[in-house]
Amino acid sequence: MSATVESLTARTSGALEAVAVVAGTVEDEWQYVTDLVAAWSARLATVGSARLDEMAPEPVESAVDRVIEEALLVTDPHRAIDWLSTLSQVVLVALDERG
Amino acid sequence: MRFQDAAVDARAVVYAGIQADPLVAEAADLLTDANPAQRVLARAVMNGESTDPAAWRTMFPTLFGGAAEPALRARSEAILRASLRVAERGEAVRSQFRGAIVESLTERLLARRAGPAVRRERRILFDGVRAEIHPYDVTVESATPEAYDCKWGARGINPEVLLQLASARSNAATEGVELVVSLVVFDAHRSCLVRLARLGGAAGGMGLVALETLRGLARPRPAPAPPGGPR
Repeated sequence: MSATVESLTARTSGALEAVAVVAGTVEDEWQYVTDLVAAWSARLATVGSARLDEMAPEPVESAVDRVIEEALLVTDPHRAIDWLSTLSQVVLVALDERG
Repeated sequence: MRFQDAAVDARAVVYAGIQADPLVAEAADLLTDANPAQRVLARAVMNGESTDPAAWRTMFPTLFGGAAEPALRARSEAILRASLRVAERGEAVRSQFRGAIVESLTERLLARRAGPAVRRERRILFDGVRAEIHPYDVTVESATPEAYDCKWGARGINPEVLLQLASARSNAATEGVELVVSLVVFDAHRSCLVRLARLGGAAGGMGLVALETLRGLARPRPAPAPPGGPR
């Protein structure tokens, strides 16, 4: 495996959209879900742009793929809302970035 | 203004049992000296589906990888074990445990600077003002009193909580007392700001302590920063 940091942040943003589909079924929280995805996607895009061509070490790519897998396991919409925040934080920790 | 023990109703009795569970104390002790990445680990595991510790080690290479210092790795392992035990309690119970852990963690951090002035589950009474039903999770009952409402996630921030904190601060000011009020949220600062923005922002003078800044509770005031302020 070999991936750039930018590709990992893009993968994460894609996963956020998928988790948001589950989370968005909580009707009262639809706007919050939308705002969370926008805020975290923007943060991930900033990191991706700043480290555009940097290759991520293999453990970091494995970490990102595994936490995306974990987030996509969640089927409860309320827990999915929690994971919109958690997924991005775990990826940023793996990339040694601040939230 | 004065502090008073919360009424001992059925909810309080049930919740007191959870607060007294040794696992709550164990997790809070471990998290008191945890770094931000370790707090994210605890949050993820307690929110997660997987109960295989190897999966979580893979997700956190900076805590469990070969480059991690032995002491860092050891504490991370302990946090992972405790967090998995919370996760294994089932959804309803773990939700209560998570809340109790955040409160207990807040109490421990505040006690480092305020010692026995730190109390749990206390109401604040003001002259001529109808008492709030809900107690504050943690208070510091000193010359400059403090009141904290603790939340597991940013989603727990709601209009009622913001109103209660703002009203308490305002009522105290009417009596000439500077009451420090703050939210403590075991979630990312960014997510808290998103939530607060959706609710019209936090009232002036209300603090926000997020996952990244929890240890600031143990440091001498002035603390914490306002919700949109520097971290």
